Amino acid sequence: MTDHIVRSYDTDLEGLRRSLAEMGGMAERMLADSTVALVRRDTSLAQKIISADQRLDNLQRDVEERAVLTIARRQPLAQDLRELISAIRIAADVERVGDLAKNIAKRAVAISGQFQPPHRAVVGLEHISRLVQAQLKDVLDAYAAGNEQKALEVWGRDDEIDALYTSLFRELLTYMMEDPRNITFCTHLLFCAKNIERIGDHTTNIAETIHYLITGDSLDVNRPKLDTTNIEVDAVTGS
Amino acid sequence: MLSTLELSPQTLDAEAPVRIAVKNLDFYYGEHKALKNINLDFRDRHVTALIGPSGCGKSTLLRIFNRIYSLYPEQRAEGQILLDGRNVISNDVDVNELRSRVGMVFQKPTPFPMSIYDNVAFGIRLYEKPPKSELDDRVEGALRRSALWDEVKDKLKSSGMGLSGGQQQRLCIARTIAQKPEVILFDEPTSALDPISTGKIEDLLEQLKTDFTIVIVTHNMQQAARISQYTAFMYLGEVIEFAPTNTIFMNPGKKQTQDYVTGRFG
Repeated sequence: MTDHIVRSYDTDLEGLRRSLAEMGGMAERMLADSTVALVRRDTSLAQKIISADQRLDNLQRDVEERAVLTIARRQPLAQDLRELISAIRIAADVERVGDLAKNIAKRAVAISGQFQPPHRAVVGLEHISRLVQAQLKDVLDAYAAGNEQKALEVWGRDDEIDALYTSLFRELLTYMMEDPRNITFCTHLLFCAKNIERIGDHTTNIAETIHYLITGDSLDVNRPKLDTTNIEVDAVTGS
Repeated sequence: MLSTLELSPQTLDAEAPVRIAVKNLDFYYGEHKALKNINLDFRDRHVTALIGPSGCGKSTLLRIFNRIYSLYPEQRAEGQILLDGRNVISNDVDVNELRSRVGMVFQKPTPFPMSIYDNVAFGIRLYEKPPKSELDDRVEGALRRSALWDEVKDKLKSSGMGLSGGQQQRLCIARTIAQKPEVILFDEPTSALDPISTGKIEDLLEQLKTDFTIVIVTHNMQQAARISQYTAFMYLGEVIEFAPTNTIFMNPGKKQTQDYVTGRFG
């Protein structure tokens, strides 16, 4: 896109994009590291992740403040306005990803002294984490490159993660039934799996924001859902 | 899901009748072709904003609607501007009658050097000779409509030139609406005013659109976004894009429009 007549405007927007890229990189690393910490029961790595989250929170606040200030100062319209709104939304999603990764790290610390279940219990978790890491990377790349197609692909792939989460849920239940000593560990793993599945949801949020940013329209079709652990509730009507 | 239009305080009615239809309009300053094949529909009781960089022809277009250009022999328009089906640029149109139906408010307030009362009564007296009591009522009504009454009701006999810039502009609006026009043209009505006076004029425009069809030329993009339902973006004498205002300012269809509204050229 061509530059603004007021050049400092471009500097403002460029700064926001840079901060978001930094946030995205941090969140990716936190998710990868928290999985490693969990699988290897590496408490010192887990502690590093827990303290890194503060930096991500600060960055998010910073992005939000600068975006609001830019709206106040420049009264952006069209593409520019969407870019600022998108920056606020994406920063919030990425910050949540960091929170969820931090929660996995905390659980890694919590289970470090627990009874050891069979190693295969964490294999499924590693697998779902790898998939979500790829989704997160792809959606952040799509944002940086302004590639709407790639964002939509991420958006469409989330059902695989939901399906995997469902099978992982059943698997962990089986371990718990096999040997009650697995229950504490597997419950933590279950929460970790849910966290990772949630991170997947945040990547689809980001994909939707990218679609809005580029086209100006909201994605209002329903995404296919394959997570059958959700309890089916009839929609409340008449509200 | 709420559409962006439902969120707008000024909802547009896509079914509203077309009050002014511009068809294949060309305009010349001597040899120079300033407007090229303009086609636009202005809907009844809606505010339509004309935006574009200086020299794009938006004020020129506005000046054709009430034939101000006829004062200059070297200027001519070709094509059609249909006001309720009649072509206002044809020679058999009574220009005075046209101007009573199509009022205009300019960038700089243009009060006449006479009392506030006479400023408003002036337009009425041009075409009608109502009895004093009716004239009083209409002057008061116009001043109330233009949100000026409370500020001037005790000094109707003092000069209109003594008012502040914002008050003078509202006085000009009162003078225009006293004639009961159908269409009001605003040529950058707030560009010489402070923010508070600007706010009052914008508030007034929202009130006025319930009775009048309004066309406004403005350089202030946010103002166009706030007060209009339709926006036409013009560039080098052509209409580049004409769409509901929310589309123009949130998601314009043309790159040139996008570049202009986001401050990338102009």
